[in-house]
Amino acid sequence: MIVCSNCKHSNMAGAVFCAECGAQLIGKDTLTTQNITTQQFERVSERIPKNDSYQPFDGGDAWASLHLLDTGQVLPLSMKNEFTMGRVSEGQPIMPDIDLSPYQAYAAGVSRLHAVIKRDGNRIIFIDLGSANGTYINGKRLTPNIEQALNHGDIIALGKLKLQILVKNL
Amino acid sequence: MSSKNPDYYIVLGVFRDASQEEIKRSYFEAAQRLHPDKNVAAGETELFLEIQQAYEVLSNPKRRNLYDATLPPEIYDNSVVKHEMLFSRPNLVKLGEPQLIYMLLEVAPREDKETLPSPPLNICLVLDRSTSMQGDKMDMVKATAIQLLRSLRAQDVFSVVAFSDYAEVIVPAALNSDKKKQEGRIQMMQTSGATEIYNGLKAGMQEVRRTVDPSRVNHIILLTDGQTYGDEQACLELAEQAATQNIGISGMGIGSEWNDIFLDALAGKTGGSSAYISNPKDIQRLLVDKFNALISTYADDVVLEFQAQENVKINYAFRLQPDGSSIAIEPQMHLGPILRDAPLQVLFELIVNPSSLDEDVLTLLNGSLKVSMTARPTPVPPIRLNIKREVHISPSPEPPPTRILSALSRLTLYRMQERARAAADAGQFDEAARHLQNLATHLLSKGEQSLAKTALFEANNLEKMHAWSASGNKDVKYSTRALLLGGVKEKEK
Repeated sequence: MIVCSNCKHSNMAGAVFCAECGAQLIGKDTLTTQNITTQQFERVSERIPKNDSYQPFDGGDAWASLHLLDTGQVLPLSMKNEFTMGRVSEGQPIMPDIDLSPYQAYAAGVSRLHAVIKRDGNRIIFIDLGSANGTYINGKRLTPNIEQALNHGDIIALGKLKLQILVKNL
Repeated sequence: MSSKNPDYYIVLGVFRDASQEEIKRSYFEAAQRLHPDKNVAAGETELFLEIQQAYEVLSNPKRRNLYDATLPPEIYDNSVVKHEMLFSRPNLVKLGEPQLIYMLLEVAPREDKETLPSPPLNICLVLDRSTSMQGDKMDMVKATAIQLLRSLRAQDVFSVVAFSDYAEVIVPAALNSDKKKQEGRIQMMQTSGATEIYNGLKAGMQEVRRTVDPSRVNHIILLTDGQTYGDEQACLELAEQAATQNIGISGMGIGSEWNDIFLDALAGKTGGSSAYISNPKDIQRLLVDKFNALISTYADDVVLEFQAQENVKINYAFRLQPDGSSIAIEPQMHLGPILRDAPLQVLFELIVNPSSLDEDVLTLLNGSLKVSMTARPTPVPPIRLNIKREVHISPSPEPPPTRILSALSRLTLYRMQERARAAADAGQFDEAARHLQNLATHLLSKGEQSLAKTALFEANNLEKMHAWSASGNKDVKYSTRALLLGGVKEKEK
């Protein structure tokens, strides 16, 4: 008997895929459980402006904003000084601060935990978290886990998803 | 084999250890096919005499013994097709509980593609002309039928039967017919009446039988948009008859009203399958594809005959190629056709019971594959299948072969859809919805966004309304099925 690590359904020995949820049972590394503290969650996605047309940048109290070049939406960054970026995928306990999945992140090749953007005094710092398809700043690929300073107007590409960084004068 | 000294066992298409019963059956089948009253092709009378002679010798135990002594040792190499078997696990495990093993069977032509002639066709289009076909559907059907008629080669036979409450032969099966006149008759078809498939199918069988010939691809394409009432059983019996006469059946359903389970069962009796046409615009593409597949037929059908094993059960069988369809599990399973460019691929799921695992080696399947080959009047020698696996103490750490893995990952999706449907039919709508939600999750991760949306939409329908949308169950079924075929093609590129 094989118990599916995803849904706990008991499958017959020799099964390759779970009959209940379809998860692969053999020929794959076993999943490990991760503990995640709940305090770091914040629903950033609810604050996405609903209008599709590009509005002139008015960050309010945000220290910087991300301008999605494909759809024209602007995501202001405020409240905290550090945001992880990625996409939420069902059944996975990974919750990035900024969920890019409404913007075709999966198709663009954004990793579940792709990168971090943070503010360090007057500098804006960007770090690639070892993503599968890489992060590019103005076309130059970042070395994973190395800090890189950003300037106003830089174009960041997470996989194929392009964002422009708009920095408020600090 | 030289024609002077033929191997009688090969002539009759039986094994050397065949029982008298089997020899008799095989002789009758061959004699029916090649009887001088029926055959048309040159040289068939000689073949008929040959099987007569073979039967005379083999049916007499004394003469058979004498003959056996003169035979050279049996060559196990089957010269016409080659087969290959892959397993999900290299060995079975000694366990106190039932276990599963998957088997992928591939049967492919052995000869080089270039040397094979394209077989002549003997095809009947059986068209539903009930009132509901009016408009776009009928116009497309007519246009496609005329297009197919024009594309025929001189050696092909093409007939058209239209049916509603009764059947009418629009284009009779004949060689060298007047195409202009036939086009006119197709143009004149009018819609009226209800859908009674049995009448249409029967008339179609009659047309195909007129020119039935083992060297042709004999096939009925049934196109309908409605349910037939009350005559399902009669239709299935007709399909069984067709299978014994070397006539294949494919079904095509238009729109949401028709009964896909019935059409699948009907076509499945002959190793064929059903297709779903959601939009009348696709009628032409699907029919032309079907025609091209029939032209490239290498073998009409491969039949798996097996003796039921006490402790091993075939739990599920699905044809991955040439066209996707689940296969009914019977002592004689019609696995489907082999095309010249697409070998037959069937995936089996076997359940092994623990009581059989005391031995070191376990027989999973004992039987034979019988190939009925187009353009080959003599029977093809059957392929003996005796599939064994060793039984070990511990499972092998080896992952399953990638081909099985990728086929299974897609088949799992298809079966989730089947489960959802079974649950919905049983009135367990929450369970059905959950299966569809799981399915949608996997479809999304495979990048099938629009199909995932359809699945979620149907999950929602089942949860709230306790019913599928009009064409929902067919949309999900045939799209996940198409996914399976897509997977096979992708891999080959």
